[in-house]
Amino acid sequence: MTLQPQPVRIILAKVGLDGHDRGIRVVARGLRDAGFHVIYAGLWQTPEAVVRAVADEDADWLGLSLLSGSHMTQVPRVLELLLRTDLGHVGVIVGGIIPPGDVPKLLELGVVRVFGPGTPLGEISDFLREQPRRVHD
Amino acid sequence: MSTIEPLLERFRRRDRTALARLLTLIARGEQREAIRAALPRDPGPSRVVAVTGNGGVGKSTLVGQLIGVVRGRGRTVAVLACDPESPLTGGALLGDRARMPGHPEDPGVFIRSVTAPEGHEGIADDIDLMIRSLKAFPFDVVLVETAGAGQGDTAVRDLVDVLVLLVQPEAGDELQWQKAGLLEVADVVVVHKADLPGAERTESEVRDLLNLPGCRPVPVLRASSGRGWGLDELWGVVESLPTRRPEERHDRRALLRLVQQQLADRFGQMSIAVAPVLERWSRREVDDREAADEVLKALIEGRTER
Repeated sequence: MTLQPQPVRIILAKVGLDGHDRGIRVVARGLRDAGFHVIYAGLWQTPEAVVRAVADEDADWLGLSLLSGSHMTQVPRVLELLLRTDLGHVGVIVGGIIPPGDVPKLLELGVVRVFGPGTPLGEISDFLREQPRRVHD
Repeated sequence: MSTIEPLLERFRRRDRTALARLLTLIARGEQREAIRAALPRDPGPSRVVAVTGNGGVGKSTLVGQLIGVVRGRGRTVAVLACDPESPLTGGALLGDRARMPGHPEDPGVFIRSVTAPEGHEGIADDIDLMIRSLKAFPFDVVLVETAGAGQGDTAVRDLVDVLVLLVQPEAGDELQWQKAGLLEVADVVVVHKADLPGAERTESEVRDLLNLPGCRPVPVLRASSGRGWGLDELWGVVESLPTRRPEERHDRRALLRLVQQQLADRFGQMSIAVAPVLERWSRREVDDREAADEVLKALIEGRTER
């Protein structure tokens, strides 16, 4: 018998004026059932509020869902604030409606992975589990 | 022990990310004794207030509103919001934060979500250490929101100065308010969602039954977070109540919880010592009770492997 592995903490949030939360809530439930500690920060968050949540919750991951087309504005802002707040170790994943042409741009900016509509829940949890533990400090 | 000294140093310099990291270590049960030793035993005059009640009664929403009330009085506030951890997968969905308005520009507000394991009365393990960290940081007010609590989940009372119990209209008949448990230990009872019908009747029922002649008087009031009713009054009452003195908390149940926790830790750490018992138990050579007795003996006699 060994000690339980320490649960991974992930914050899920929607930034900007985007009320489509069905997808992110399904992901929240799926990750919960896969043994993650999911902190659901909710709708209509500003990048500043999301980054504050990541800091105070000492999260390993941040998942952003955008279905509003504003991802090329909001996501870079979040990434920049994370770096500026000394939270560059936090992994960022993005979901929602992201045109294929924008995916490489987001990855280039520092997003670890983009999950589109129809992604099986197991694919997200497997991906997160396979990633090396995010190291603080 | 030396490994966390740089972190503690940053914490003492009021580095917020160090506080966040310290709470993670506490939640994971890492470096427990070093942290316990490093934190001041009585870190000052902060007021610790718990908000408890059934799931869905509006604890998160009320706490979210109280943040604004407390900040409006010029005091800093930290929140520990507990939600249940799955006994099946260890996973958790911590949704309290979504119901609390964010204050991203305000360093005087700190919100942290923590998990409460099954059977731990709606609060996180080592939440006393988390509270001490937040008091030491310092925050003037620490609000503890329990996970949805049942009638018997009273452990939180020993950890806080004031225990606020939320009930909602039409939540039970008069007999319900007479039962032992949470209602007995509450310092303030709030009929929440007081914009719903039946709130006044519920308030008078609770007041009648809690404030019988000769009983400790318990304030009962109505509030609605949705309408913004009664929140200032509630905080006024909370602040007017005397802070529970440390010696009153020096009780047997707290000690029992510590013993339980140490046994649970040892059970995790002493796999070799308990392995033979577990093996015979899994082959059904001993029944549950016999196995438990033997495990207990092994945990007490054995040495930790780490």
